[in-house]
Amino acid sequence: MRFVLTKILLPVLLLALFTTSALAAVGCDLNNPDRDVPRLFPESTSFKTVYVSIQKLGGPALLKKIENRLGAQSIALYAPVDVPYTLYEIYKDKKKVGYIHGVNQKGQFGGIQVFIAQDLTGKVKTFYLQKITGASASKFREAKFARKFEGVTLKDFDHYDPVRGKGTGRVAEVPNPSPELETDYYGILRGLKKNLVLMDEFVFAAERAKP
Amino acid sequence: MATNCLSLQARDLTRVYRRGSEEIQALDGVSLSITKGEFVSFMGSSGSGKTTLINLLGCLDNPSSGELELAGKTVFGHGQKLGEKELTRVRREVFGYIFQNFYLIPTLTVLENVALPLAFFRKPGAEEEVERLLKMLGMEHRMNHLPGQISGGEMQRVAIARALVNRPEILLADEPTGNLDTKRAGEIGEVLTDLNRSSGLTIVMVTHNPELARLAGRRIEMRDGRAFEN
Amino acid sequence: MMITPFQIAYKNLLRKKVRSVLTLIGIMLSTWVLVSLFGFNRGYETALNRDIENMGYQLMVMAKGCPYEAATMMLQGGKGLRYMDQSMVNQITKEPEVDKVTPILMQAFFDPNKGESGGIAGFYGVDAHSYPAMKPFFRFKKGGWFKDNTADEVVMGYEAAELEQREVGDETIVPEKNVKLKVVGILERTGSQDDGTIFVPLKTLQKISQVDQITTIGIKVKKDADITSLENKLYQLKDVQVVSFSQVKQTIMKLIATARVMVFSIAVVALLIAMVGVINTVLMSVLERRQEIGILKTMGAMPGDVFRLVWTETLILCGLGGVAGIFLAVIFSRVTDLLARSILPYAPKGGLVAIDLKLSLLTLAIIVVVGLLSGLYPAWKAGRIRPLESIRGE
Repeated sequence: MRFVLTKILLPVLLLALFTTSALAAVGCDLNNPDRDVPRLFPESTSFKTVYVSIQKLGGPALLKKIENRLGAQSIALYAPVDVPYTLYEIYKDKKKVGYIHGVNQKGQFGGIQVFIAQDLTGKVKTFYLQKITGASASKFREAKFARKFEGVTLKDFDHYDPVRGKGTGRVAEVPNPSPELETDYYGILRGLKKNLVLMDEFVFAAERAKP
Repeated sequence: MATNCLSLQARDLTRVYRRGSEEIQALDGVSLSITKGEFVSFMGSSGSGKTTLINLLGCLDNPSSGELELAGKTVFGHGQKLGEKELTRVRREVFGYIFQNFYLIPTLTVLENVALPLAFFRKPGAEEEVERLLKMLGMEHRMNHLPGQISGGEMQRVAIARALVNRPEILLADEPTGNLDTKRAGEIGEVLTDLNRSSGLTIVMVTHNPELARLAGRRIEMRDGRAFEN
Repeated sequence: MMITPFQIAYKNLLRKKVRSVLTLIGIMLSTWVLVSLFGFNRGYETALNRDIENMGYQLMVMAKGCPYEAATMMLQGGKGLRYMDQSMVNQITKEPEVDKVTPILMQAFFDPNKGESGGIAGFYGVDAHSYPAMKPFFRFKKGGWFKDNTADEVVMGYEAAELEQREVGDETIVPEKNVKLKVVGILERTGSQDDGTIFVPLKTLQKISQVDQITTIGIKVKKDADITSLENKLYQLKDVQVVSFSQVKQTIMKLIATARVMVFSIAVVALLIAMVGVINTVLMSVLERRQEIGILKTMGAMPGDVFRLVWTETLILCGLGGVAGIFLAVIFSRVTDLLARSILPYAPKGGLVAIDLKLSLLTLAIIVVVGLLSGLYPAWKAGRIRPLESIRGE
């Protein structure tokens, strides 16, 4: 019995552990999904973690399409086509109610991790910066700033260009809480757009295609 | 008459088989001598002991009692038994065998089948025999065929060539035409008669076929383990 | 025009092609398993050694209670860092076994803007001269090392740069202290923890953190020097702990031993299955050919001749199957590698499965010997067939 335990069960367990941890080590993940998901999506009762890759969804053609939609070098993905993106599907009881997804975007002193919780129509429900580096970066993490993005959809970026920082509409009206950090301010808006575009391609495009 | 003219001399050969507790006397004191160059046929019903006798004459089996001399040398006698190796040594020096079922190796060509014995034992000059025999038996055009591609009569010719490749003194034929139709059987009979007449080959044959038996110069009838000469 | 016993044996195997091929596949598969296992057995240790070689140093000395490496330090939230005096470096350099020494300072800073309730950012202060000398295998994706020990510069590991979205020329900031540093180099992926590390010049980090001590000393031992004796001497130093990578290696090898035992059992089972397959095939073919073998005996084949004939069949099966298995193992060594990686608790970089000619020949020899052993009984059985019983036995 001891032999079975040490010689067979242990390696099998190790195998299981290491294959899952290998998968989890990619993309932009929530640091602690069990705690973060209920906070970002209060009515959720459970969630499922799925991995999406551009390679599997549409290959180089889709990568090209997404890069075109992002429009500019400074929002670009900087990731190979087969990198898996972590997508959290949110459930209330047995019903799917929305998604949480994060992206990495370049900031002044480090990477900015822009997470959004969306309902099934793609409308932003909660906006969350998991990581941003810099002395006065905490202003961007204030609830006041995050609330400005509640209800934003991809359509709001039709009239606003976060690369040039020009345009109109509700995105253009969000004030910069830390005027000395322009790069980070636009970085956040670019990250938000990237996140919305990716989610549109990963999830909502497929749903629109359904009759 | 010099002893070296005697190919085979059997004295009072008996063979008892045991089947469970029952003893079967297959051969009941057979004495006979076969001279070099003779063509002898044994006939008899099944169970008459003809096959047992030919097996003993051909050194394929040990007798229960009796003696056998081969060209003046004692093979069996005084109750001693020969091991498998000794029997093999005697057989490959003296005998060639053909059987009802030919027993050619299906994956080897006609040529290879005939040359097969040489892989184990080779008398000087035996290599040349292969082609000579094939030619003599009219099989050289079939040399590279496999046994499955030739007729039964042809297969028996190949078997004969194989039996003769090491130039034996005695050819033992156990029902050589048992699996052949009348025409082919006649042809094989001719081949055997020919070998006996032209090369002086001693032939000892067991057969059911009276036509074939008639070709032999000497005919022995077997009944209840005893030999009766006509 | 002559036919050799080898040809007879070979042609006999062609008679029942499917059976021969299935047996061949059996032998091939077990050879595959066996040679891959042997290859792994050697390759893994070589790769592990190379990995440890790639650490740059074989020994680390640190203040007692101090975490080993950056990852542990971050997990502990930067607490538990203990310091030692930089003079320790000179003391250790004097030991005759020591080749090179490099001082390291690990520091962790709290970044409130990381995660929900803040996180830890770790920095690795290294000497601008002695550290790169210990890691000559580092390749830069872009840029290079900092120019001196006081420069306000950083070098980032591949993953660190990816996470921080940094490129050469970008700025980064040390949280808590709000000191800006310039990215001057980004390393290629190494597959080790260096990938996630941010390197800062030692003096710069000491200045930022207002610490004039160090946490760690990396020691490269001279070739062929007695590491154990040096370890023992280092243990005598006050308030330090010694981490030896040869010990780490032993620990890993112990872990691997479990996996090895499992794979080895599989190989033995595979070998046994192949062996039973060979016995079955050859025995069947002997029994089917009783009469033919009897005829061979009337032709003058000795028991030994028949024995050798049947044994040759076994030899051909095992030889062919073995060679095919080795080819298979070489061709699919990458796959085996991936498989091993998914099973193992720790997989070093580079090929884990090293198959060379010597190893292949060794495996082939084992397969052939095992095959010949399996062929022993059928061959012996065939040798004992007596012509009379086989011919008249129907």
